[in-house]
Amino acid sequence: MEFDELQQIWDSQNNQPLYVINEKALHNRIQSKMKQGLHITNISELLLIIIHLSAGSFILGVNLFNHRGKISLYVLAAWMFVTALYSLVSRIRRIKGTHRFDRSMHGDLNYALSVATYLVRLSQIMRWNILPVGVLTLLSLWEGGKSFWGAGFILVVFVFGFYVSRWEHNIYKGRKRELEVLQKKLETKG
Amino acid sequence: MTEKEQLNILEEWLGLHKGLIFKIVRAYAVAMMDHDDLFQEIIVQVWHSIPAFRQESSVTTWLYRISLNTAIKWTQKERKHSQSETLDNVQHILQENKIPVDERLAWLYQEIYKLDEIDRSVALLLLEGFSYKEMAAILGITESNVGVKINRIKKQLIAKSKNYDYHGI
Repeated sequence: MEFDELQQIWDSQNNQPLYVINEKALHNRIQSKMKQGLHITNISELLLIIIHLSAGSFILGVNLFNHRGKISLYVLAAWMFVTALYSLVSRIRRIKGTHRFDRSMHGDLNYALSVATYLVRLSQIMRWNILPVGVLTLLSLWEGGKSFWGAGFILVVFVFGFYVSRWEHNIYKGRKRELEVLQKKLETKG
Repeated sequence: MTEKEQLNILEEWLGLHKGLIFKIVRAYAVAMMDHDDLFQEIIVQVWHSIPAFRQESSVTTWLYRISLNTAIKWTQKERKHSQSETLDNVQHILQENKIPVDERLAWLYQEIYKLDEIDRSVALLLLEGFSYKEMAAILGITESNVGVKINRIKKQLIAKSKNYDYHGI
């Protein structure tokens, strides 16, 4: 067949729609989709901000009410607040950057790639953030004269968290790689 | 823009241009459940895009942009359903039109589906009669790049058609 024939075959469907829409089911499904509007990026960012703010406030509160407040816990609370602030600033910068991309397929892919890069960076930073938090927590336990076994348990929890966060980080890296492949396909001539 | 106005525009666009969305759905998804899934994903994205539509391009071009971008991202999600999945409690949005479909059209869709996600978009835009300039704007690449891709896709489809046995002819 020549291309003109393929074109004719393609055009033959214009007068007969391929599907019939069930309007009621469509309406219901759209309504439920709208409610699920929060994207995974939004959820991750908001969770990071809320968790760090809550944890920082809790540690600060407990330490203030305690007559013999520990320096390591003040530092830990401050670290938590700084992390929450960093997450908030990153989120604002990401949202502001949304309008930099045009609405072409290339622009859309670039945007998706910038979000993926952002998530890879954020997950990496949060992964390494476990280290100072862990050290400060252990330091506060040592200051408070807690048992060796208690400190050992906390250490195991932090090490476990560090490894689990690598798994999350790798998921984001995988998604970014897929988008890079797509972008390359689009840009490659031929 | 109120939600009601947005919904009215969506209904109007859907009434006039649902055919183009159907074509994209069929080119990017195989199982009927996936047709449903992709279709609603596209509709939701189109709905979200309505306030940003500035009439700098035609509605058709705009819908192609949104729908193709959504379809490409949808294929990355790897959420596709298998044909054997139990769907008893699922209310389908799309129902296949009970009209005899040209066997050659089914073959053409099959061949388009075999192309990678990007080439599939180019093939759809080509068959829909978009100019190189319009395609370049939708895809965000140069016209010369569009030209190179089209030449290759055309050759590929023509070559495949040589081996296609339609009623033994």
